[in-house]
Amino acid sequence: MKKKTLRELVEQLRDDPNVVYWHEIEPQEANTVPMPEHLDLRLRTALEKRGIASLYTHQASAFEAVRNGKHIVAVTPTASGKTLCYNLPVLQAIAENEHTRALYLFPTKALAQDQKSELHEIIEEMGVPIHSYTYDGDTPPSIRQKIRKAGHIVMTNPDMLHSAILPHHTKWVALFENLRYVVIDELHTYRGVFGSHVANVIRRLKRICEFYGSRPTFICASATLSNCKEFAERLTGEEMTLIDNNGAPRGRKHFVFYNPPVVHSSLHIRKSATAEVNRLAKQFLENGIQTIVFARSRVRVELILSHLQELIKDQLDRKTIRGYRGGYLPKERREIEKGLRSGEIIGVVSTNALELGVDIGQLQVCIMTGYPGTVASTWQQAGRAGRRHGDSLVIMVASSNPIDQYIVQHPEYFFQRSPETARINPDNILILVDHLKCAAYELPFRQGEKFGGVEVDEVLEFLTEQKVLHHRAGKWYWMSDAFPAHDISLRSASQENVVIIDISETGNHRVIGEMDRFSAMTLLHEEAIYLHEGVQYQVEKLDWEEKKAYVREVNVEYFTDANLAVQLHVLEEDRNEQRPKLSLHYGDVSVRAMATIFKKIKLSTFENIGSGPIHLPEEELHTTATWIELGEELAQMDAPLVEQALVGISNVLRHLVPIFVMCDRTDIHVVPQMKALHSGMPTIFLYDRYPGGVGLSEAVFERYDEIMKEVKHFIERCPCENGCPSCIGVIEAGNHSVKKNVIAFLHKLLASE
Amino acid sequence: MSMKSKLARWKEQLASRASVQEKPPSAPLEEQREKDVPFLDEWRRKNVQPFFFDGDYCLVREVVYPLDYQHGRYRLGELHHIHERWQDASFAHPLSSKGHEACDLFFFDTETTGLSSGTGHFIFLLGHARVYADRVVVRQHFLPHPGAEVALYQSFLSEVDYTTLVTYNGKAFDWPKVKTRHTLIRDAVPKLPAFGHFDLYHAAKRMWKQKLESVRLSNVEKEILQIEREKDVPGFLAPMMYMDFLSTPHPDRIFPVLRHNELDVLSLICLYIHLSKQLLEAPQLKDASEQLETARWLETLGETNAAKSVYERVIEKETKEAWQAKWQLSLLYKKEKRYKDAVEIWEQLWQHGNDTWKIKVGIELAKAYEHHFRDVHAAHRYAISVYERWKALSRSYKQRDDAQEMELIKRIERLKRKLSH
Repeated sequence: MKKKTLRELVEQLRDDPNVVYWHEIEPQEANTVPMPEHLDLRLRTALEKRGIASLYTHQASAFEAVRNGKHIVAVTPTASGKTLCYNLPVLQAIAENEHTRALYLFPTKALAQDQKSELHEIIEEMGVPIHSYTYDGDTPPSIRQKIRKAGHIVMTNPDMLHSAILPHHTKWVALFENLRYVVIDELHTYRGVFGSHVANVIRRLKRICEFYGSRPTFICASATLSNCKEFAERLTGEEMTLIDNNGAPRGRKHFVFYNPPVVHSSLHIRKSATAEVNRLAKQFLENGIQTIVFARSRVRVELILSHLQELIKDQLDRKTIRGYRGGYLPKERREIEKGLRSGEIIGVVSTNALELGVDIGQLQVCIMTGYPGTVASTWQQAGRAGRRHGDSLVIMVASSNPIDQYIVQHPEYFFQRSPETARINPDNILILVDHLKCAAYELPFRQGEKFGGVEVDEVLEFLTEQKVLHHRAGKWYWMSDAFPAHDISLRSASQENVVIIDISETGNHRVIGEMDRFSAMTLLHEEAIYLHEGVQYQVEKLDWEEKKAYVREVNVEYFTDANLAVQLHVLEEDRNEQRPKLSLHYGDVSVRAMATIFKKIKLSTFENIGSGPIHLPEEELHTTATWIELGEELAQMDAPLVEQALVGISNVLRHLVPIFVMCDRTDIHVVPQMKALHSGMPTIFLYDRYPGGVGLSEAVFERYDEIMKEVKHFIERCPCENGCPSCIGVIEAGNHSVKKNVIAFLHKLLASE
Repeated sequence: MSMKSKLARWKEQLASRASVQEKPPSAPLEEQREKDVPFLDEWRRKNVQPFFFDGDYCLVREVVYPLDYQHGRYRLGELHHIHERWQDASFAHPLSSKGHEACDLFFFDTETTGLSSGTGHFIFLLGHARVYADRVVVRQHFLPHPGAEVALYQSFLSEVDYTTLVTYNGKAFDWPKVKTRHTLIRDAVPKLPAFGHFDLYHAAKRMWKQKLESVRLSNVEKEILQIEREKDVPGFLAPMMYMDFLSTPHPDRIFPVLRHNELDVLSLICLYIHLSKQLLEAPQLKDASEQLETARWLETLGETNAAKSVYERVIEKETKEAWQAKWQLSLLYKKEKRYKDAVEIWEQLWQHGNDTWKIKVGIELAKAYEHHFRDVHAAHRYAISVYERWKALSRSYKQRDDAQEMELIKRIERLKRKLSH
C-alpha cells in the first residue's frame, strides 16, 4: 500500500462531516535582525557554531530591553526560540563580569534539568568558565556548597527557593549580593493558589536581595495570556515591558475542530472523544506521519497508547509509539525526547507534561482529546505541531463536556486572540500570613516595613500575640522554635480531594479520578450514579474520613441529583455596581454547605423514581464571592419562574465562568438563592473554592457584562429542545416552556434600561 | 494606615533615636544607658555586667572555679597534667594540645532559639571556659533581646581564639550557627577568622556508640564522667525559657539556662581530660571495647606503631574483642609484608574461629599460600574449605552474594589449573 502524504490526508479530512470548523493559519517568514554589535565575541561565535547567525525580532527586543535595565515578559509561542530571550542577556552579563549571578525558576524539576543541558552546550562552545547548576531535592550534598558559592546560574523551582534557599540565605551570600537576573519561565503556570504563593515567595526573594544590596531584573517568559503584562507585574511586583514581536518563522497550519456524532439525543451525549482520537491518530501513524496525541489524564494516556499500539502493530514496531507523562523516569523521558527529535519515534501520547518547554523538535500532527481547558494550554499544545517550513495539522476532538461544546460552537471565541486572564491574589490573607512568617524567619521586620507594597504591621502584631514573633524597639523578630517554610506547601494540599476508586474488577481496583470535597458531597454520596467519561458508576461506599469513594460500573436507566443546602453569609462587602435591573456585589462570605437528600431521575422521561437521605457532615468555608442581586422589578415576578431562571443561569455560569477566568470547573462555585440571607432578595452567588479566595470571583465581577452576554448566546444556541445538562440543566418531564422562559428572563435581566 | 500617618505616629521615637546617635558617648550617658538595662541590680548580684556597643548592649557573666574543683570523676585542674602529657606524646592526634598553652583551649557551647540552621533561629548564649594556671574561668555572653547581636558578637569575638575551640558537635551545629549570625551583621563586627577545633562529639561517638544508648552529652556525663546534675533544666527547654524571658526580662527566668550552659562547658573540660587519658593511656585501658576503638582510631590516623601496641594489649585480654584485634593486627602485618606473622594469626583464627571467621581468614590464607609462599596445594585446600563453609552459611542464612561466590570459584579454578601443570 502506498503511503499517503499529510496533504492528501488533510484533503480527505475536509470531507469528514464531523469537522465543524476549519481554520488556516498562513505561513510566516522569519523576521530577523543582525546580532547586536556589542555582543561578546565568544558568545557570538558559540551561537554561530549552533547555526544562529542572526536573532529573531523578539529575541533582539528582549536583549535590548534587558540591557537597558527593564523587567520584561516575553510572550512566546512554542518553538520560537524563547530561551535565547533570557540566556542571551544573562550570558552576556556574566561574560562581561564574572561576579554576575542569575537565578532561573522553572515550575518543575524536570524542566530545569532540560534547560540546563541546553545551556551547557552553549557555555561549552563559548569556552568561558560559567558554572550553571540545578539545585533541587536531587542535588547531592557534596556539591551544594560549591553551587552556593560559585554557581553563576542557579536553576531551581519555587518550592526549593521557598523552603531551602531563602530560609538559609546567609549560605548564599555570593548569589544574593550579585544577583542581577531572575528568570521566570513558563510564567503562565503560576496562576491561582500556586501563583499566589509564588508571588509571595518572590516578595521574600526581593526582600532578601535588598538586604544584600542587589536589585535583580526579572525576565519572564509566558504562553499567551490576555493579561500577560499585568499578570507578570502582579507576580513580580515590578513594572514590565511586554515583548511580543515574534519573529520566528512558521509553515502553514490547519486548525480543525472535530465534534463526534451525537449518540444519545435526549441527553445530548456524543460518541466518546477517545474512540475518535484513536481512529484519527491511526490514519496518520500508519502513513508514517509524526503525531502527538494529548489526553487530559494519565489513565487516558495509557488507554489511548495501548489502543494505538494494538491498532498498528502490523505496520509498526510498538516502540515507535510511546507514552509520556509524569511518573516516567527521567532517563526514559530523555530517550523519548531524543527519539522524537531524530524521527525514530513516530507517535507520542502525552499529558500536558509535553505542553511545557521540553525540546522534542517539531511534529506534523497534533490531536487533542478534548479541550485542554484553557486557550493558553490549547495553543501550547497546538504549537507541538508546526514545522518552520511545510504544513502541519492540529485537530481538537471535543468531548460531551459543556465547555468543549461551547468552544467548538464558538470558534470565533477561541480564535480571537486569547481572552483568558490569569489571576492570582498574593494578598489572600491566609497565604500572606504564611509567607509573612517565613519572611520574618528570614529577616526581622522593621516597623512600617511593607511586604510587596502591603502594610503588614497589623498582621505582625497579630503574630506577636500568637507568640510567633517578638516585638522590640521597632522590629519584629522570629521567636519560635518552628521552621515555618516546612509547614507551608506552595502547591496547597489544604483542598483535600476525594479519590474515586473503581472496584468493578476484583483484584484490579484502580483510581479513575478525584473530586474536591464540596462537589463530592453531591456527586459521590453513597448510591449516587457517577458519570465518568460516559460510563455509569454507582458509589458503593464513601469514606469521608479517608477521602475515598468506591464505585462500581453499572448500567441503569436513571441518574441521581442531590440537594445541597447552602447557607451563604455575607461577611463584608468591598465593591458594588448598579445595573438597570440588578446590582452587582463583591466581598467576603462564609459558606456552609450540607448535602441533604438525593433523587433518582429516569433518563428517558426525567421522572422522579425514588429518593434517599445523605449523611455527611456540614462543611464550612470562608472565601470571596461575587453576587448578582435581582432588582425589585424582577424579584416580584412569578416565583417559580424566577427560580427556574436562577437555576438555569447558574448552570450555564458553571460551565462558562472557568473559560473566562482561566480556572478549573471546581475552582469556582455557583449557587442560586431565592432569598439571600443578608437581603432577602433573589441572588446568584459565585465564590472561590479556596479559603480566602484567589481572585476568581473578583474577575467575574469585573467581566460581568461580557460573561452574561455569553450566557444568553449559549442558551439560545444550544440545539436541545427544552434544556439539557449542557445548558440550563435537566428539566423535569412535562414542563415544556422552561427554556423559552429563561431566555425571556435573560432578555429582561440584560436590558440596558 | 498610610505611611504618612505611621510616620506621624512614630515621629517622637524616630526623632529621639536619631538624636541619641549623634551625641558622643560621655559619662552621664553611661548612667543613662545603664538605666535601659532592666533588672540591672539583680544581674549584678549574679556577677553579670552589661557590655555596651553601638547603641545596644549584651550581658557578660563570669564565674571562677578553683583548680581542685571536683566535677564528676575529675578535678578541673587535671587538664594541666593532661596537657603536659600531650607535649611528650609519641604520636600525633587531632585531640592533642601539643604546641598550645593549656589556657589556650576554649571549651565552648551555645544555646539557641531553635535547632534549624536557617536564619530565623539564633544563638542567645555563648559560653566558654578556660583553665588558667591558678583558676578556671567561665564566661558567658548573653543576648538580652534580639537585635542586640552586634553587641553580643563584638563582646564575644574580641576575646575568643578560634583556633583552639573545644566543642561537642560544634563542627556541625554551633559553628555554622555562629557563621550564619556573623554573616547577618558582618559589616558591624570583627571578621570571623578561619576556624579549627577539637570536636569531642566525634571522639565520643567513636568510643561509645556501641556501648551507650545515646552519645548525647548529658548521657556521656552520666555514664562515663559520673557527673550528676541537680535541678538542671534539659537543653530542649532552653528556647521556650528564652521566649518566656523576653516577655518579662527578669534574670531568674533565664538563669537556669545559664547554669545549664555553665555545667556544659565544665563537662567539656572533663570530657577532654577523659578522652585524652584514654588515648594517652590506651595500652593500660581496662575496658577491652574502648581499647579496641582507641587502637582503631590510631590506626586510621596512620599511627601504626601506637595502634599495634594497643592491639597487642587487647589480645592479651582474651575477650571477644581479642579476635577483632588479632584480625586488625594481622592486616597491618600483611601491609608490612610480614606474612609469617600474619599467617600465624590467621591459622589461630582458622583453628578456633567459627565459620564466618573461617571464611574471612581462609581467603587470606589461600591468597598468602598461593602468591607469597607458592604453596599451591595448601592454597587449594584452604580455597576448597572456604567455599564449602560459604555454601553452608549461605544455605542457613538464605542469603547469597553472587559476586563473592564467583570470586571463590574463580580462585579454585585457577588453583586447579596450577595444580595440573
